[in-house]
Amino acid sequence: MLFVAIVAQFAVGGLTLLGLRRRPANAALIGLVVLASAAAMIVAEGVGVESTPRSRVDWLPALGFNLTLELDGFAVLMSIVVLVLGFGVLLYSLAYFEHDATYARFVGLFMAFAGSMTGVVLAADLFTMFVFWELTSICSFLLIGLNDTSESARKSAVRALLTTGAGGLCLLGGVGILQTELGTTTFAELVKLQPSGALIDAAIVLVLLGAFTKSAQFPFHFWLPGAMAAPTPVSAYLHSATMVKAGIVLLARTSPAFGQSDVWRWWVIVAGITTMVIGGWRALRQTDAKLLLAHSTVSQLGLLTVLVGMGTSTALYAGVAHLLAHAVFKVALFLGVGVIDHELGTRDVTKLAAARIRLPFVTSALVASTLSMAGVIPLFGFVTKEKALVALLDAELGLAGSVALVGVVLGSVLSVAYSVRFLHALLGEVAPDGTRGDDQQNGEHHSSTLIARTLLGAPVIVAATASIVFGFAATQIGKWLVAPSTSLDVLAKSKLVLWPGVNDALIISVVVVAVGAVVGWRVPLAVSASPNSLGERMFDAIYDSILSASKKITQVSQPGSLPIYVVVTTLVVAVAALVGLLRDGMPSFDAFVTDSPLTVSVALLTAVLTVGVAVVSVRFTAAVFLGGVGYGIAVLFLMRGAPDLALTQVLVETLTIVIFLLAMRSMPRNFIPASKWPPKAVRVLVSVAVGVLLPLVALAVYSARRAPSVSDEYFTRSVDEAGGANVVNVILVDFRGFDTMGEITVLAVAALGVVNLVRVAERNRRERAS
Amino acid sequence: MNFRPSAILDELVDRWLSKVAVLVAVYVTFRGHNAPGGGFAGGLVVGGVFVLQFLTGREPHIRHRPIRRPTLLLGFGLLVALVTTVIPLVVDASPLESHIWKLNVPFIGEVKVVSSMFFDLGVFFVVVAVVLMVLLSLGARGESLVGDDGVGAS
Amino acid sequence: MSLSLLVLVGVLFAVGTYLLMERSLTRVALGVGVLGNGANLLIVVAGSDSGQAPIVGRPDQLTDPLPQALVLTAIVIGFALLSFVLALAWRNWTITENDGVEDDFEDRSLVSRKEGTAKPGDAPHHEDVAR
Repeated sequence: MLFVAIVAQFAVGGLTLLGLRRRPANAALIGLVVLASAAAMIVAEGVGVESTPRSRVDWLPALGFNLTLELDGFAVLMSIVVLVLGFGVLLYSLAYFEHDATYARFVGLFMAFAGSMTGVVLAADLFTMFVFWELTSICSFLLIGLNDTSESARKSAVRALLTTGAGGLCLLGGVGILQTELGTTTFAELVKLQPSGALIDAAIVLVLLGAFTKSAQFPFHFWLPGAMAAPTPVSAYLHSATMVKAGIVLLARTSPAFGQSDVWRWWVIVAGITTMVIGGWRALRQTDAKLLLAHSTVSQLGLLTVLVGMGTSTALYAGVAHLLAHAVFKVALFLGVGVIDHELGTRDVTKLAAARIRLPFVTSALVASTLSMAGVIPLFGFVTKEKALVALLDAELGLAGSVALVGVVLGSVLSVAYSVRFLHALLGEVAPDGTRGDDQQNGEHHSSTLIARTLLGAPVIVAATASIVFGFAATQIGKWLVAPSTSLDVLAKSKLVLWPGVNDALIISVVVVAVGAVVGWRVPLAVSASPNSLGERMFDAIYDSILSASKKITQVSQPGSLPIYVVVTTLVVAVAALVGLLRDGMPSFDAFVTDSPLTVSVALLTAVLTVGVAVVSVRFTAAVFLGGVGYGIAVLFLMRGAPDLALTQVLVETLTIVIFLLAMRSMPRNFIPASKWPPKAVRVLVSVAVGVLLPLVALAVYSARRAPSVSDEYFTRSVDEAGGANVVNVILVDFRGFDTMGEITVLAVAALGVVNLVRVAERNRRERAS
Repeated sequence: MNFRPSAILDELVDRWLSKVAVLVAVYVTFRGHNAPGGGFAGGLVVGGVFVLQFLTGREPHIRHRPIRRPTLLLGFGLLVALVTTVIPLVVDASPLESHIWKLNVPFIGEVKVVSSMFFDLGVFFVVVAVVLMVLLSLGARGESLVGDDGVGAS
Repeated sequence: MSLSLLVLVGVLFAVGTYLLMERSLTRVALGVGVLGNGANLLIVVAGSDSGQAPIVGRPDQLTDPLPQALVLTAIVIGFALLSFVLALAWRNWTITENDGVEDDFEDRSLVSRKEGTAKPGDAPHHEDVAR
């Protein structure tokens, strides 16, 4: 059943991209139905049931790799978040996009992404998660680059893909280590095992790198603001509410297993805190509302990383709660800014104020969500942030705990500050050149009908309402969240309350809000946001240097001349042979038997003819010499007990001479002179080296035989099983018949190639003639 | 190749040699299972006949043989080989597994037919087609030859 | 192991390699042919001892059939490959009246983009017009 929920979403995605390109709106409606029914199914299957539903598909059972899905409490919570937000965003997109080919692509990729993300949250083991994880990376890449005519969108898409892709590789490395060391990557098993050791530490670091790149943790935080090149529905869904949470999901799943390791704890806390502070500071300096939100997402992800990763059960519970709170208020904020952008044509924080006249409901929703983000009572964000502070105060982790607390407080101050900045933008004075005047400049943004506006506004208002209602219903929500967090860690049982009473956490909260408000008022906006952050520039520098280095290598290694390539290739072979011979010692010459005089003379004659092929300058003669060489070898085959080879060789040589003559008949009598580079001396030297070394290797190989040939078996089976006495032929048509099948296919391809080469040349010649 | 074929040579090559050679080729192909020979060699024998016809200036003659489209022959050969590969799968054996029939042919006595012989027959056809295609392509150019009716798809 | 055949293998490989380094496509084709013969002989010589043809029922020591089976198909494929190379040479000649292997234009332009130092000998080669 669980797989059905995922496959259905992919199916809609595929259908949209292949069949419904012309009717994206219909596709979106189908998508909405699928998302809603998937959510309903998840609730029906997963809520209030005794045993956890599981599904499994064997993939590589021999290696222990299977796709396993499990609908435990956390999976229920996360998949509902993924599916319900997906539903809202898809609804919103109906009004947001023009209904053109881009929209069809959006719907298709969006559904594929929703399917992948459902897979990530349902995954019961690391391997399954990795598979869906990579799918989300690819969908995200395609969605960021949705506007494929914009260079910056393409660049951002590549940055995001390479960063998350590199992280994905690290994760795969971690999966590999855990699978080989522990024999399992199932989360439940890992928690039971509580593994430790040097190799496990390496795996931990790899898994963390995967999580950090995905969730845009320092120093990989740069790709997320870049991803805002995508249209608003994409940013809202992928890059704030769901995909970037994949890293957090991974941390939440693995933290009960690894959380007690020092490596884990320090990496998580340092990365999380740094991210939270840097993101907060950058958010404060943005003038573009969407970028402000992007940086604030980075900052909040830092907080979530600390909470779910630090390894105490209360913090984990707080993390799960804040995960929900953040998803709800951030999707409202992104979509709300998108509405303003859509209707007023601006995202500049100095001009947002006009929105409250034109879009009063959306603006109120934005205000409520912002207050939730700042952690102001009575909104849900306040409840979860209180819980987070309590968890940090109670954590007895020594230095690491103190660092985490100080960092989170600092980060929270910045959160309040940028929230205040955003509120100020929304509620401040309407700029004199205001967006009222935009009626003329941005006339096209006013075309939205009432239905469109409702579609755009509804998800924003519903999400904002949720932030308020969840706040007042904190106790009940807190109870519901127990199941998700205990499914991660049995001890993570706690509760939420709206009014905790005056305690340390509340005092800290009040101070944070006060200081943050002051900072938010006083710190100036950046005059102009720098186009590229340091991280982006570093990424670009690395990217460019790899490209230019590969170009340099190409310049050296590929001068474009065939003779040089042959010289280099041959030299490598010769050196490899030489090294092998020197290391293993020269082969013994005892193996030689005395040849009959006939053999010697035929071999000698053939050798002379061979040299003749290279020496003569007349084409015709060279071809005839080559034929002579072939006949000589045929005779040698015959004398060695290979009549089949001799027969085939004679026939082939006859044909070879003829086709040589046919192909060369219009060419001049003599060959063109050889090239001057590489010089003749080098060519002769290389050839002689090959001619000396290769037979030595052959001799070594011959003397190195230890096991009897497999042919002994063929001899005994040939007559009985294959009904043939000629073992060579039986091998060809029976024992190794598959090989022969492949070989006649090669023959067919070569012949078709010849036919077409000649036909095209012929046509070309005729065209020139006429 | 500006041979001027004599009438006797004509007669010899067209009437007799080619037909005898095809018989020889089939013989070589089928005897290959127990003695030197086989599909590759058999196919090349037929190829040798083509060469002879080419060298005696009988190229038009090849062109208007029953085998007018060597690509069809090529496909046919591959198909025969493939079918013999796949049929054992149908009867639940491993691919290419041989089946041996012992037939009692009047006057000759017991004849042993092995299914892999048909595979070799496929190889034979492929080789014939390949030789034919190469010869007709590379030999197609030139004033003395009829070269305009396409090579693979006349 | 037969010394004379081993020496012959060496000669075949040396000459084949030498021909591959030529400019003229026909000579490259010759090189392919020689190398093919060399490889076939190498497999037979290094893979089996001399003996009777591997046909069940014959008296005396039978030689190993496996290398022969490998080489048998290799001979025919070698023929197809040679035909292909010759078709290339023929086509090159028909279209450009030139029997030489051209330098790869893309690679050349990449080399000259920065340094502009072409190696000697990569200069345009002879047009063969002795028709």
